[in-house]
Amino acid sequence: MQGGSSGIGYGLKYQARCISDVKADRDHTSFLTGTLSLKEENEVHLLRLSSGGSELICEGLFSHPNEIWDLASCPFDQRIFSTVFSTGDSYGAAIWQIPEPYGKSNSSTLECVASLDAHVGKINCVLWCPSGKSDKLISMDEQNLVLWSLDCSKKTAEVLSKESAGMRHSLSGGAWNPHDVNSVAATSESSIQFWDLRTMKKVDSIERAHIRNVDYNIKREHILVTADDESGIHVWDLRKAKVPVQELPGHTHWTWAVRCNPEYEELILSVGTDSAVNLWFASASSEKKTSESSVVASPQRVNPLLNSYTDYEDSVYGLAWSSREPWIFASLSYDGRVVIESVKPFLPRR
Amino acid sequence: MATEAAPMDEKAKRMRDLLSSFYTPDPSISNNASSISTSFDNINSTSFDADQYMDLMIKKSNLEVLLQRHVQMAAEIKNLDTDLQMLVYENYNKFISATDTIKRMKSNIFGMEGNMDQLLQKIMSVQSRSDGVNTSLFEKREHIEKLHRTRNLLRKVQFIYDLPARLQKCIKSEAYGDAVRFYIGAMPILKVYGDTSFQDCRRASEEAIEIIIKNLQTKLFSDSESIQARAEAAVLLKQLNVPVDSLKAKLLEKLEQALDGLQIKPEEASKLAEYNDSSKDEETNDQGPAKIHEDAVRGFSEAMRAYREIFPDSEERLFKLARALTTMHFENMELYIRKRVSAAQFLGIFRIIWEDVVLMDEVLPEAALSDLSAEAAQVTLKQFVARTFSHLQQDISDTLLKFDINQKEVLKVVLEASRKAVLQGTADIFQGFRQLLDENTVIFVKMKDLLIGWIQKGFQDFFRSLEAHFLVLSGKTSSSNETEGLIEGKSSDKIQAGLILVLAQLSVFIEQKVIPRITEEIAASFSGGSSQAFENGPAFIPGELCRVFHAASEKLLQHYIDTRTQKISVVLRKRFKTPNWVKHKEPREVHMFVDMFLQELEEVGKEVKQILPQGTFRKHKRTDSNGSNTTTSSRSNTLHNDKMNRSNSQRARSQLFETHLAKLFKQKVEIFTKVEFTQESVVTTTVKLCLKSLQEYVRLQTFNRSGFQQIQLDIQYLKAPLKETVEDEAAIDFLLDEVIVAASERCLDVIPLEPPILDKLIQAKLAKSKEHNNNTVSS
Repeated sequence: MQGGSSGIGYGLKYQARCISDVKADRDHTSFLTGTLSLKEENEVHLLRLSSGGSELICEGLFSHPNEIWDLASCPFDQRIFSTVFSTGDSYGAAIWQIPEPYGKSNSSTLECVASLDAHVGKINCVLWCPSGKSDKLISMDEQNLVLWSLDCSKKTAEVLSKESAGMRHSLSGGAWNPHDVNSVAATSESSIQFWDLRTMKKVDSIERAHIRNVDYNIKREHILVTADDESGIHVWDLRKAKVPVQELPGHTHWTWAVRCNPEYEELILSVGTDSAVNLWFASASSEKKTSESSVVASPQRVNPLLNSYTDYEDSVYGLAWSSREPWIFASLSYDGRVVIESVKPFLPRR
Repeated sequence: MATEAAPMDEKAKRMRDLLSSFYTPDPSISNNASSISTSFDNINSTSFDADQYMDLMIKKSNLEVLLQRHVQMAAEIKNLDTDLQMLVYENYNKFISATDTIKRMKSNIFGMEGNMDQLLQKIMSVQSRSDGVNTSLFEKREHIEKLHRTRNLLRKVQFIYDLPARLQKCIKSEAYGDAVRFYIGAMPILKVYGDTSFQDCRRASEEAIEIIIKNLQTKLFSDSESIQARAEAAVLLKQLNVPVDSLKAKLLEKLEQALDGLQIKPEEASKLAEYNDSSKDEETNDQGPAKIHEDAVRGFSEAMRAYREIFPDSEERLFKLARALTTMHFENMELYIRKRVSAAQFLGIFRIIWEDVVLMDEVLPEAALSDLSAEAAQVTLKQFVARTFSHLQQDISDTLLKFDINQKEVLKVVLEASRKAVLQGTADIFQGFRQLLDENTVIFVKMKDLLIGWIQKGFQDFFRSLEAHFLVLSGKTSSSNETEGLIEGKSSDKIQAGLILVLAQLSVFIEQKVIPRITEEIAASFSGGSSQAFENGPAFIPGELCRVFHAASEKLLQHYIDTRTQKISVVLRKRFKTPNWVKHKEPREVHMFVDMFLQELEEVGKEVKQILPQGTFRKHKRTDSNGSNTTTSSRSNTLHNDKMNRSNSQRARSQLFETHLAKLFKQKVEIFTKVEFTQESVVTTTVKLCLKSLQEYVRLQTFNRSGFQQIQLDIQYLKAPLKETVEDEAAIDFLLDEVIVAASERCLDVIPLEPPILDKLIQAKLAKSKEHNNNTVSS
């Protein structure tokens, strides 16, 4: 089953890095994606999977002033999303609203709800509070962590608190703990840092260099998945964070992003710069097995790699599970190709 | 016949019924008993009604039947009459004979009374005579009896008075048995009168007895006496009510102490084993420690035999002792084999122990020593096999870590040494085990199957753990506490990288050479037998091991490449994180990260050259993949075009379009191919991965014109040396171009350097590096 072209494709005009699931859209499986072009006019595409699931329709095409380095959809309003963008020599982050009535494919302008302009350095990402209703936001640049309160009606964003991680730790990204809204994991050059948002203090850290991406397991508390440049994917149990509970080989080149399935707790997706998307099965039982019998490698150990989708032309950077249909994921390669795949044949039987 | 028999039977039965009814006084009983089917038509029943029967007959039957019935009945009546007559006659006969008998008895009794009277008279006279004799002799007899009693008493007194003297005499002649018998005979009297009349006597005899007891005890303890004598002494002592148990305890303690002397101490064991071997060769060498030991054990077993006879109730204790000795032997053996022991030495000790066990088993067959020792021997042997394998693993890992990898060309040496260690080690093990198998001792013959099973399983486990150990050594798996310190001690990355390569190649060697050889060996001399011990099939599965090591070698090779690329990756990361690319200054020279990159590659090349074989030379000619050729040309075209009118966004869009189109039409260059165990493949893979990383780093940055030019310059410089080292030129070209493309895509203002300037800068760099090289050479 190597790279069967079962996926539904959609081509963006320019190169692109980020794609996000529109969580607030309860009626359709839709994704937001934005292009990354230094010189051209960048676009945000709102894509919707047709009801038959056989076609990917562009529901909206909006021009965006700068190239988009990060994009996240608001969990409670399907029309709102955040982007991190770059003009080449400076960075910015903003909250946007898709104009009403959207749905016409002719390019229309986005309405800027708020600009998160408390940063100077390179902004990495904007995180929405995973609880769904909260209007809290976090934006992260290389040194700082800023907590925002967003008021959509007044179209303002207020800095609630801001804390510097220090010059030495250059932050590169993060994830908001879905089990504890006061906890945020941030990846830095040499470690994963855990921040408590009430005190805005670093409470814990796992020493691990060059982590590129991190994701919490929505279904299982305390489980965190990280992706490294070189050494693949690690599954951590935060209660005993000294050593990873499980190691997955990752990709031939860098593992760029990793995402836990929102419904099936054992499924993990990863994308890498070897132009592939890998679907992993990280069962709780196999975690135990590997930790117990690390020396005597059991010959029957199941290959954790369920499938590798290799039908890509360039490095894959964007990855998102659909929260509405959790067996569907969208991937985005650098050449601007969105591919929707279904993992139905690999779902664990229960 | 049957038809005839039936009426006969019926007839007999009727006869019997009739007779019984005749003799039974109460007709009602006979009625009940004889026939339940009483009815009117039954002629034999009492309630038979002739008229009715007649009526029935006439009604039922025709004339012929009636006539027949009549004839039959007449015959029956006649028969019955004769029978009755016979009976009467017989009875009469018997009556007459009875009368005769009575008559005879009467005549015999007549005249018997006179004889009886005579008899009575005679008996009376005899009685009176005997009374007379009795009375006349009575007095004399009384007297004699009295005299006799006195004499007996006197004799006893005499005996008691003589007792001390007699005892002394016995002591002198060592006739302790008699003495004890005498003393015990006198005991009751001495007990009763000892305090009064025979005081002196008693004291004297007691003294004598004490001497006897003492003598007996010494006799018992002295080893020079014969067992018989000692046993007798013990019996006598027991008769004298001396507490023998304490004696026994003492004796056995002594025996226990002797155990210590019999220990084969681990320190001496090797000496013992040597002497044992040598004494086998030359019988003159009697005084070897093995001989001494054998004698000691023989003495011990003799003593045990003696005690067993002396104290039949002490067997349990002796069993315990013997068992203790056996277990002690095996425990010591275990201690002994904790150190490195050759199979010959092991066998030597084992033989000694087995001899001991056999000796003791002769004495105490009930102690089940052979079972015990067989069990213990199994355990020990199993341990020995396991230890041998762990020693081998230790050897191999020692060989691997022995060398200082920083030295030049040392990897080759390490690989050779470790290869030799593996081969030699396994060969030695086989030799040793073959010795074990050839051993003819009973116990070994019994354990042969088991041993073969253990050896096979041992090999299986050994290779499995060796593989795990390799992975630990390589730092791939960071578990296993025992080796952790070992790795930390040498945790420098440089050592690791080379070592990983050695391990990878060693795994290949094991997979291809060692395991087949071992399979052969096992098939030759260690096959069979195991089927009973291991029902799950043979324990040694070469196919599985080959798979394991194949996987391990690939894993290790990949790991080697990973560690190498990681180092380069660090260099690259620094290179791209540090400067502000948007405000980059004009390129003056080739950046030094290129040097570091090439240096790392060179090191990889060096290491690889030492260890890995050269691959079949198949350089990808550029013409082979014309697709990539066209791509690059089209790319450079677009670059130039772009330079011409970069403001034209339409043009730029078409550039991207063109890139996509080019990608569509060209065959996808396989960047991530499978790594092979050749020098070229490893180097190529490393270069590919690094260039891919370079591309990714470039994509994350935004460049100004100068930044782009710097990248262009660096890549241009890299082109030549990389192509020299790498087998897959097309892929490298492709990747280098990709880096340039990525940089141009991320550049705000793409103006490539003019080729002359590019050339000049590269020449300058080359000259500089040459000079640098010369300097290093001269210095």
